[in-house]
Amino acid sequence: MKDYFKFFDKFTFSLLLLLPLIGIFLIYSAGFPLKETNYLKQAAWLFFSLVAFFIVFSMKIDFIFRNALAAYLGLLGILALQLFIGHTMAGTKSWFRLGSIGMQFSEFVKIPLALFLAKIMAGFQLIGWKEFLKLIILIAAPVFLIVLQPDLGVSFILCSFFPVIVLLKKIRPFILIASLVLVLLCGIIGWNSLLKDYQKNRIVSFLNPAKYKTSSGYQIIQSRIAIGSGGLSGKGYLKGSQSQYQFLPARHNDFIISVIGEELGFISIAILFFIFFVFFYRQFKFNFHNDEEFYFIYLFNSLILFQFLINVAMAIGYLPVLGISLPFVSYGGSSLLSLFVGEAIMFRIKINNYLT
Amino acid sequence: MYPSKRKLSGAYVKRAATVAAVILFLIFLGFFAAFWNIQIVHNEYFRRLAVQNITRSIDLTAPRGLIVDCKQKILSENKINFTLYLVRENVIDMKKTLRVASFFSARKVDAIRNIIARYKKYPHFYRISIKKNLARDTVIFIESRQEEFPEFVIGIEPTRTYPLGHCAANVLGYISEISESELNSKKNRDYRLGDFVGRSGIEKQYESYLRGIKGNQVVIKDNLEKIQKVESEIKPVIGATVVLTLDLELQKFIESLFVDQFGAVGVVDLQTGGILAMVSKPDYDPELFTQEMEREQWLALSNDPQNPLQNKFLQGIYSPGSVFKIIMALAGLQEKVITPATTVHCSGSQDFYGREFHCWNLGGHGTVDIFSALQNSCNIFFYNLGKRLDIDTIASYARMMGLGNASGIDMPAENTGLVPSSDWKMRTMKQRWFPGETISVAIGHGSLSVTPVQLLKMIATVALRGRMPRLHLLQRIEKDGKNVMEFTPEFTSVPIAAEYFQIVVDGLFRVVNHEGTGRTAAIAGLDICGKTGTSQIIAKDNPRYKILTKEKRFMPNSWFVSFAPKDNPRLAMVVLVENGGDAGVIAAPLAAKIYNKYFENERLF
Repeated sequence: MKDYFKFFDKFTFSLLLLLPLIGIFLIYSAGFPLKETNYLKQAAWLFFSLVAFFIVFSMKIDFIFRNALAAYLGLLGILALQLFIGHTMAGTKSWFRLGSIGMQFSEFVKIPLALFLAKIMAGFQLIGWKEFLKLIILIAAPVFLIVLQPDLGVSFILCSFFPVIVLLKKIRPFILIASLVLVLLCGIIGWNSLLKDYQKNRIVSFLNPAKYKTSSGYQIIQSRIAIGSGGLSGKGYLKGSQSQYQFLPARHNDFIISVIGEELGFISIAILFFIFFVFFYRQFKFNFHNDEEFYFIYLFNSLILFQFLINVAMAIGYLPVLGISLPFVSYGGSSLLSLFVGEAIMFRIKINNYLT
Repeated sequence: MYPSKRKLSGAYVKRAATVAAVILFLIFLGFFAAFWNIQIVHNEYFRRLAVQNITRSIDLTAPRGLIVDCKQKILSENKINFTLYLVRENVIDMKKTLRVASFFSARKVDAIRNIIARYKKYPHFYRISIKKNLARDTVIFIESRQEEFPEFVIGIEPTRTYPLGHCAANVLGYISEISESELNSKKNRDYRLGDFVGRSGIEKQYESYLRGIKGNQVVIKDNLEKIQKVESEIKPVIGATVVLTLDLELQKFIESLFVDQFGAVGVVDLQTGGILAMVSKPDYDPELFTQEMEREQWLALSNDPQNPLQNKFLQGIYSPGSVFKIIMALAGLQEKVITPATTVHCSGSQDFYGREFHCWNLGGHGTVDIFSALQNSCNIFFYNLGKRLDIDTIASYARMMGLGNASGIDMPAENTGLVPSSDWKMRTMKQRWFPGETISVAIGHGSLSVTPVQLLKMIATVALRGRMPRLHLLQRIEKDGKNVMEFTPEFTSVPIAAEYFQIVVDGLFRVVNHEGTGRTAAIAGLDICGKTGTSQIIAKDNPRYKILTKEKRFMPNSWFVSFAPKDNPRLAMVVLVENGGDAGVIAAPLAAKIYNKYFENERLF
């Protein structure tokens, strides 16, 4: 037990704790004009997430990897079930209500998926047809179910596993080309049959934001105004006109970065980025006993980085609005919980190197 | 230590870590630069946009000035009105918005779309007036569901109201929204789309005084246009009060005399030239125009063959008929073609230039002089007078007495009528004047045409024995209790000797008081002088032709011009009843009632 404390990455953990605390601080400001109490809910979720963190952290890595497939299949089953009986919230059936607490199961798929993908990756050198198909099916199954809910953001994030795998593994050039064609095909089919009008609108309005005042193009314009008008030191906490007069949409969620940009300015943005940078950097530095551990950390850490990248790029108008929140900081219990569970596995892998 | 099953080479892991670090570094460097660009480099630009987002400059409509009569009774004022505005920048679904707007305003979707289209050049946050005079229920409904209808805003504004309804409608005129083409003109620089502007009558004539000064409000609002606080405000200034010479009591009385008849009446105070009453029937409710009028409603009003929007007193063009004999008499005396001793024998008809001309009294008047000719309106006497005067002399006297020119009263869109002359005929018809035509003009027919106001000015000049008053409706304009403008009576002299006026006045006295054609106007104790006129008018191309009954269609217009008392005259009046028939039966008794009303309080008899 003493060893556990001694070798535990206390510095990275403090950063992990700091990010949601900053988040709660910002969620308070975002909810201030309408007297929302989301910040309290988020604090409760942070508490649950910490409990879950230490439960998962105390599990043996072998046990976790052994049960990855079962957890993966179980979650697929729940997602399929949700399509029929899911609680519709904000137009998506991704929520499960347990008492008064809503659960978004799609957020959790990424953990067993990353674990199982890592396990498979440890078993081959080169991505051949067989491996390619296996990987694609594993990723596509939850993506398909989540797109149907429909939750574009989460499914898009899950897709990011594939390029990371390609970067980590050798791949037959022909298969690479084939997968690019597949992506293109998916895009065309998705656009024509799967995407709802409002989702298409998001993407179209990104190309011509001024035309769509109340659409997501408008959201991007307002987000850019919020961030840009913040300047070096911001307009002051709870004093941002874009946030407090509600021009900024989804302030507590997708556009939380714009709240900090407007009210606390470039200095605070730079500090936040620095925290994220150090956090990601430290999570990429580790030792491991088993190849699957290596692959898991790369897959999961890349996933969070990808999420961060898309969210921030969206807030400054470099990408269309995809409904992806800022990891650790944005409001959202399921997201926070799943991230903490994933981080717990990473912390466990890292500490294994020092334990006898 | 755990047993290691690690197969990946150290070099591979190192390379992976390096690639990850480089990617990480590039991502953060990129974001750092992007945020620097937005927050530091373009800070000013975005700061301005943020301010634009929350601040709105709202025009505050100024209440129009009041219009009151000579006894300060209110003819036109303002009332509180709720206006439904549409803010385009908050529209989510235009189809739904149009439907809702159509529901609230009870107008067709297309009508709403047309209104919105007019504001194309205005900024998207500009408030477009969709419906005025919103019902209180609707106001409460919208206000309580502001979240649902972020695109609608309720404005509280003054709106024009005419508490007396139709009364004096054609004097007051009406106001309506300024049009786009008018806004392009330089003189309308400080008007904006949605503003109201005077269209006719006093509302138009004194627009610059009545309109007041618009106020302005800068407010802080949220994304739903809900006002959070008022940053600064300039209060609107109400327009000046226009005090008219009109006597509301008399006006109302005269209007009540026209039950199912149409026509015009004007009464002037001879001491000042101020109009005491100006009636034009049919009329309309000017308040219709301050609400949004539907196209059909407007078409019905403007295409009405009875032309209620026309002020007949100023714009109606009629043949003066026998009333013109007054001017003929003055011309004959001044030109010394006749004297009071000149007599003509009337046998009921006489031949001029090979054509037989009739007197209205086919039995003939016997021997007539100027007095009895006026008294009995003998045509034969005036045919002979016309024959002795040429058309151009007659025309010059008609003009001298105010015919053929606008009367100069302070009202817009006056008509001039027509005084024919040989010159005019050559110009317009490329034809020489035939002497036979002069015979018709001599009794006020032919191409001669006048407006009632011209005849009022003419009879007023006769009453004042050659002093021609300037007719006016304005007494003064008041602002904050001070006079901004005051009308001072103006008189000009007509180059006709006073003694000739006296002869004509004696004749006109006999018309009413010596069993003349106007005897029905007589009131015991009041020396009324007047002249009847009965003029055939209706032609098949007249729009009124179709709507008149067969009996009325060929009924002549009925005139009575008059003044009283004979000496030191105080009141002059013109009464016109369209298709009234015999003037002595229709117009003259009407005049008597008006004199009675006016003098009833001071009658000592």
